Amino acid sequence: MVTARPSLVVMALVASVASGCASELPSDGVARGEALFKNCVQCHGAEAEGSTLMNAPAIAGLPQWYVAAQVTNFQTGLRGAHADDTEGLKMRPMSRTLKSASDVSLVAEYVSKLPVKRGEATLAGDAAKGQAAFATCSACHGADGSGNEAMKAPPIRQLNDWYVVSQLRKFKGGVRAYDPADTSGATMKAMAGAIPDEAAMRDLAAYIHSLPL
Amino acid sequence: MLEHYMQQGSSFASQIDGLVWMIFLMTTFWFLLVEGILFWLLWRFRARPGHKAVYLDDHAEHAFEVKWIEIPHRVILLCDVAVIIGAITVWSEVKLSAPAPDEVVRVVAQQWAWTFTHAGRDGKLDTADDIVTIDELHVQVGKTYSYELGAKDVLHSFSIPVFRLKQDAIPGRVITGWFKPTIVGEFDVQCAEICGIGHGIMPARLYVETPEAHAAWIANPTHYLAYKF
Repeated sequence: MVTARPSLVVMALVASVASGCASELPSDGVARGEALFKNCVQCHGAEAEGSTLMNAPAIAGLPQWYVAAQVTNFQTGLRGAHADDTEGLKMRPMSRTLKSASDVSLVAEYVSKLPVKRGEATLAGDAAKGQAAFATCSACHGADGSGNEAMKAPPIRQLNDWYVVSQLRKFKGGVRAYDPADTSGATMKAMAGAIPDEAAMRDLAAYIHSLPL
Repeated sequence: MLEHYMQQGSSFASQIDGLVWMIFLMTTFWFLLVEGILFWLLWRFRARPGHKAVYLDDHAEHAFEVKWIEIPHRVILLCDVAVIIGAITVWSEVKLSAPAPDEVVRVVAQQWAWTFTHAGRDGKLDTADDIVTIDELHVQVGKTYSYELGAKDVLHSFSIPVFRLKQDAIPGRVITGWFKPTIVGEFDVQCAEICGIGHGIMPARLYVETPEAHAAWIANPTHYLAYKF
């Protein structure tokens, strides 16, 4: 006959309680940011390298201030609440799983410390033509695409080329920066409005993709 | 009874509840009866000092089989017929026939949001005054609505529990249905088909408004779902 020894039962109970405790989020710090980031992995990848399949951009190494600002924009509806922004509408509820400003900050900090990843080129654009048009972008994003926090312009040189085009398209079409309260987005919307067509967007993306990291 | 737990907010909610209630009563009756008889038989013919347990064998009398097997079997078949008639009646009234709508609303599901297109002041879709909202549906009490339901990416299910409405949304198809709200209030809209990691966080809100409140919203459509920590 098989009988359960009381000591084994107690051990099993302790183990299950301990495993339950282990699944609790750390209370603070980098470990909490890392734990919270697990919600992002499904789309952005374990190293925040992005996924073309999921239409999720690489975000590894983006500065903390920018990631935090964008997550907050998604939460408050300044970004990702336009009916034609399919990807943004996906990010919107995910951003709201972060229940405090400090959690947003911790995730952003974790992401910012991940090594920068840049995906393979996926579009056929003319980098030489893009370089000429990039002069406008460099005023805020810098000649090397490294960004400028004072101008609220993020680094863009590590962005996936398809993501650059999709965001330029959204800015130009008013699918992003649709709310006047999104002041930095409004600047970008005006800039994107000056890009004549999709081909010019691809040229820009090709040049940006050619910038050294 | 069910309305005690969930209000009946549409013209057909009581019919669906009635069907659920009928099936519940029938299955409960048969469950209790059969389990009661089973445990009574176990007790009645149990082994005890001086008696062996008695089992039904292959040589049971025909009259015995008629009494305990054939008659209950036929009564259960009658219950099945009653359920089928009830189900087809409700299905016919809710799904197969639709009253002429006063207005049409477009519903698009995607991972993980609902987009609702309201007809606006002119009462017609695909005109300049359409009102598009995310995760927020506004309707007028007493008005009959037809909906055009689509999905951008994967299977979803448009569920409004208070209406007793649940309809799958399938990419590539536009599925039509209808509802007529009967009570004013703010209610849940949810996805009832697992649709990815964010399935549990794609709720929307339904606002059923009086004619005056609805007209005021149409005139000045605001989004109520401002996010707060």
